[in-house]
Amino acid sequence: MSQPTAVLGVIGSDCHAVGNKIIEFALSQAGIHVVNLGVMVSQDEFIDAAIETGAQAILVSSIYGHGEIDCNGLRGRCMERGLDHIVLYVGGNLVIGKREFGEVEHLFKEMGYDRVFPPTVDLSNVAQCLKQDIAAAA
Amino acid sequence: MKVVAIDIGSTWTKGAAFSVAGDEVELLARATHPTTVANLADGFFEVLQTVVPDDAIGRIRRGELRLHYSSSAKGGLAVAALGLVPEVTLEIGKLAAQSAGAKLTQVFAYRLTRADLARLEEMPPDILLFAGGTDGGNTRYVLANAEAIAASALDCEIIYAGNRDVADEVAALLAGKRLTLAANLLPAFNEPDPEPAREAIRAVFLRAIVRGKGLDRIVEATGVEPLPTPYAMLDYVEAIRTQVPGWEAFMLLDVGGATTDVYSACDSTAEPGVVVRGLPEPPVRRTVEGDLGLRVSAAVTAQAEPATLDAALTRAGLSAEVFAEAAQRRAASPEILADSEAERWVDIALAGLCVAQACERHTGRHQPVHTPEGEVRVQTGRNLKTVGKVIGSGGWLGRQADFDPRPWLAGRVLDARGRQVLLPRRFDYYRDEDNLFPLLANLARACPRAAARAGVARLKQ
Repeated sequence: MSQPTAVLGVIGSDCHAVGNKIIEFALSQAGIHVVNLGVMVSQDEFIDAAIETGAQAILVSSIYGHGEIDCNGLRGRCMERGLDHIVLYVGGNLVIGKREFGEVEHLFKEMGYDRVFPPTVDLSNVAQCLKQDIAAAA
Repeated sequence: MKVVAIDIGSTWTKGAAFSVAGDEVELLARATHPTTVANLADGFFEVLQTVVPDDAIGRIRRGELRLHYSSSAKGGLAVAALGLVPEVTLEIGKLAAQSAGAKLTQVFAYRLTRADLARLEEMPPDILLFAGGTDGGNTRYVLANAEAIAASALDCEIIYAGNRDVADEVAALLAGKRLTLAANLLPAFNEPDPEPAREAIRAVFLRAIVRGKGLDRIVEATGVEPLPTPYAMLDYVEAIRTQVPGWEAFMLLDVGGATTDVYSACDSTAEPGVVVRGLPEPPVRRTVEGDLGLRVSAAVTAQAEPATLDAALTRAGLSAEVFAEAAQRRAASPEILADSEAERWVDIALAGLCVAQACERHTGRHQPVHTPEGEVRVQTGRNLKTVGKVIGSGGWLGRQADFDPRPWLAGRVLDARGRQVLLPRRFDYYRDEDNLFPLLANLARACPRAAARAGVARLKQ
């Protein structure tokens, strides 16, 4: 299989641009073709880009605490628009307040995300997981 | 250097002979002849003979005289665009078609259905521009569409400008059709490249459309090939943007009988506090509205939404009944001339409706979004707010000294969805009074800088 492709972006009304560039850099270094949509990306824009580029994964970032609202429903929308087997990741400061990460992870997995990452994750681990998950989904 | 420029419009064939020395352009002769629809060459040679009476063809053949000419191809090449996602490859397909001088007749996204193909078979466009997928991207939809087209009875020129990974398969599937392969118009997701598709449309225009309307006779006699008029105009707008100081950003409007063309040149840098979404905008863009015009499209133009229409009627001092009747009459008999004060106001109101709506559709939007860091404006499309110059071109706008587009645009602040319309707010209005732009656009093929400067210098304010 050729180089895996992943669509990356910061979802919702979130303008945090720095981490987004770092993720793009780290994943590209790890051999993943990253289609970076930048900040303030809507669910449909992620899906539009994934359809056109034939991406195998969508990586959603959320930093400003509204992730719970913004990220919900993406899995269903992907299925509605024909992306039946796409790998979905989410990471960042996904909720406000001090909640156990295990609880947050459970919440987002319930929404249909395959993996959920805290802001402290090592990006080389993310790249590793991504390649495995894409290979497994193929 | 001596240059002859001729533009074969749908009504008039116009020509001029220019003498160019450095940046100085001198207009030596002009001529106009009704377009000879049955054989375009007849009107063309009449005009050529008038502007250069002495052995024009021999001198062109010997290289002593340069010739450039354009043809509006009966109000525009009909292109149907097929993309994958509407906001992505279909959008760039529309951009490529319009910048090549075409008129979009039908658009399709995702998978072509049997009904879509039936519509295409029933009203075949001149060209089907077929795109979808970035290079290395989606192949599923593209191949399904190629198979569907192959199995259909569709008979038209087809340009494939989609994912190059399956270009060979598409070529094999469409072997029985008239197919041209062009480079992908979206090779990578954030890097649209409409130029090869635009060039392919131009080449197909030459090869296929030129034949049968007499243009082939001109090519044979002169050895020179024509361009679609709006294709030449778009390049001319680009020449003015890059070659004339102070004209880095401007708009050019052309309201015709059947269509309204809007061209804009602008800098795409976002304002502070603005996040730009969607595909990057090209520096120069053309849009054409097939439902807005002063004659053939008058009846449709007059059916604007009530608020817009009421404002137009108030400004022109017309009643709704009189206006509707006058618009119907124009659509039925396009040769009507406005011969009374009331009829003149009907034309002004129609032109105002064309200008306002075509510019609004051409222009981008700002939508305020509330974020934890305060309000952010999300921009889609082109921001023309700071554009300070607008040109009225084409026969009607050029001649109409008392038509001012400013009040017509001033009302277009928010669109139907409450987003801010990024139209120019304070601008100077110029007119191409002698309707020289289509000719100067041809002259610009030979000397872009001189032609751009001459055009701007001749504008009336």
